[in-house]
Amino acid sequence: MPAPMKIGIISESPADEMAVRVLVEAVLGVDVKLVQPSLRARGWPSVAQVLPAVIRHLHFNTDAAGLVVVVDADDSVVHTAGHEREGYYHPRCRVCQLRGIFRQTTKRLPAARGRDRLLRCVGVAVPAVEGWYLCGRDHGVTEHAWTDGQTSGRMPYTRAQLKMRVYGTDRPSLAHEIECAMREVQRHRRDTRRLENDFPGFESMAKDLRDWKTRLATTASLAKSASLALAKPA
Amino acid sequence: MIGPNGSGKTSLILALQRLRSLARLPLRNPPHREADERIADAPSAGLAACATWPPHKEADGRVADGRIADGHIADGPEISWHFTPPFDGVMAVMRCVSETECDFLDVVPLPSGAGRGDWPKLRVALAGIRCYVLDHRALASRSLSREGAELKGDGANLATVLAALQLHAPGAFDELREALCRILPEYDDLQWAFANDGTVELQLRLADSGGLVAAEHLSQGTLYLLGLLALAYDPTPPPVVCIEEIDRGFHPRLLRDVRDVLYRLSYPEASGLKRAPVQVIATTHSPFMLDLFGEHPEEVVLAEKHGEAAQFSRLSDRKDLTDVLDGGGLGDMWYAGILGGVPQECATQESAPPFETDKTDRSDQSDQTDQPDQSDERGEADNLP
Repeated sequence: MPAPMKIGIISESPADEMAVRVLVEAVLGVDVKLVQPSLRARGWPSVAQVLPAVIRHLHFNTDAAGLVVVVDADDSVVHTAGHEREGYYHPRCRVCQLRGIFRQTTKRLPAARGRDRLLRCVGVAVPAVEGWYLCGRDHGVTEHAWTDGQTSGRMPYTRAQLKMRVYGTDRPSLAHEIECAMREVQRHRRDTRRLENDFPGFESMAKDLRDWKTRLATTASLAKSASLALAKPA
Repeated sequence: MIGPNGSGKTSLILALQRLRSLARLPLRNPPHREADERIADAPSAGLAACATWPPHKEADGRVADGRIADGHIADGPEISWHFTPPFDGVMAVMRCVSETECDFLDVVPLPSGAGRGDWPKLRVALAGIRCYVLDHRALASRSLSREGAELKGDGANLATVLAALQLHAPGAFDELREALCRILPEYDDLQWAFANDGTVELQLRLADSGGLVAAEHLSQGTLYLLGLLALAYDPTPPPVVCIEEIDRGFHPRLLRDVRDVLYRLSYPEASGLKRAPVQVIATTHSPFMLDLFGEHPEEVVLAEKHGEAAQFSRLSDRKDLTDVLDGGGLGDMWYAGILGGVPQECATQESAPPFETDKTDRSDQSDQTDQPDQSDERGEADNLP
């Protein structure tokens, strides 16, 4: 059984953190272990403000392999395939903003703790993480439905309505929020394809995570080659 | 309720306490024959207050609205209280002989609404108003085992209240214990030490070692949390609860749990409870606490002082709130001064007028500004961070 991968997750609530952890494990196919103390932000724009310090902290002070950042899109511009173009950056897209912060912060950091840099994973839930929780249960809730609503000016649902559908109230207690979030993400524990299909904001997060696997495998392979080369007699 | 120090937050709570006190006394002008009977099942009474100065007095002694001026009373300010159903047909008016002394209470039937003849019931509900300034020393103190009916204003009988809850409402007590141990996982139980002198002391059991920590050695925040939980898990809480400095002693991350405790009181159905909602009036100076109400700005009241007058306004009345919150959380915007409700500073004595809540439609003005259209897709390589 592989050792758990040590990572950091920064999100907006303990409920999000627990649910995101399940989804990360589902994509990676391995157990993850979170750095302590757990990381937390007070919603947007607090996440963007603390992220550089969080990245530096994890890079220098912990052996975390990567950092997963998950925020709600709220009413911001939704990330699209067009934003993925080389060199493109949309100033009101949270995926672009968070990736930009990662890029800016990590590009000058020296190697530390046996790794070149902290791996990046960014997920933006459109319009809120409750949308992900409803995926596979409420077929009308998709990222596409939301962006269609933004285009037409007729939003299919509000964030408060999504909360009502998930928690049965728009004022859930933290304990109830965690219970509901954990119940809903169980649907995606074995297969995240539906979530990736309905929510491209999750799909891009899953791509980042799969890229981790590739990078970590390459790093391990290079390390093995180097050690073999060192062991070989001249 | 948020606002700078001295903006009237505590004064409003004191006015509520005054209303409760005056409601116990005979009315100045009883609307009907008063019944002194006690009603066991007092309904909840939601409150809204409005303080007004008396209308201009005419030369003949009549006031501008036609009423005869009543000596000193008519010269003083008034505080009128409106109620939610089932008492929305009644207004209670506290009449003051000076700016600081309110000695008379009138009950005025309104043209419409329910409860116009139900002053005795409303009176019982008002008698249930409770105000708390929890004190960690009082919360930690031993209390007499006969003092467990209701939490005192400073929390001095906490130990007995919780012991009584376990005895009389074990289900509610179990929920309280579960909530406590979830919020503070270093503990796994509440226990009591009974002394020969008839006093009881609260103890918490450490989850790791099983050791007992006496109340006097608990942190202030732990004691405040216990006090709030005692209120929130009371099966028959008061109809109106006022709590000063609700965030005091808590780590910012625990404020979400504190808010949940308040919501359990005021939205019992969301917690699966069938009792009447409690109106909670809590003050805070914490931007972190305020952040937790970003989705419900209608629950936030901003207190501001203009000259000698305190003004209270609901945050949701602010027309540009959505635009303001686009730039950050409520707490940040409050601290920045954009929401108002911040202390005056020597260099900025000329305070800005209160924020605009009129009906002027300013939605089309944004088109005339020089603001860039942020909906445009832009930011190619030159914008790349």
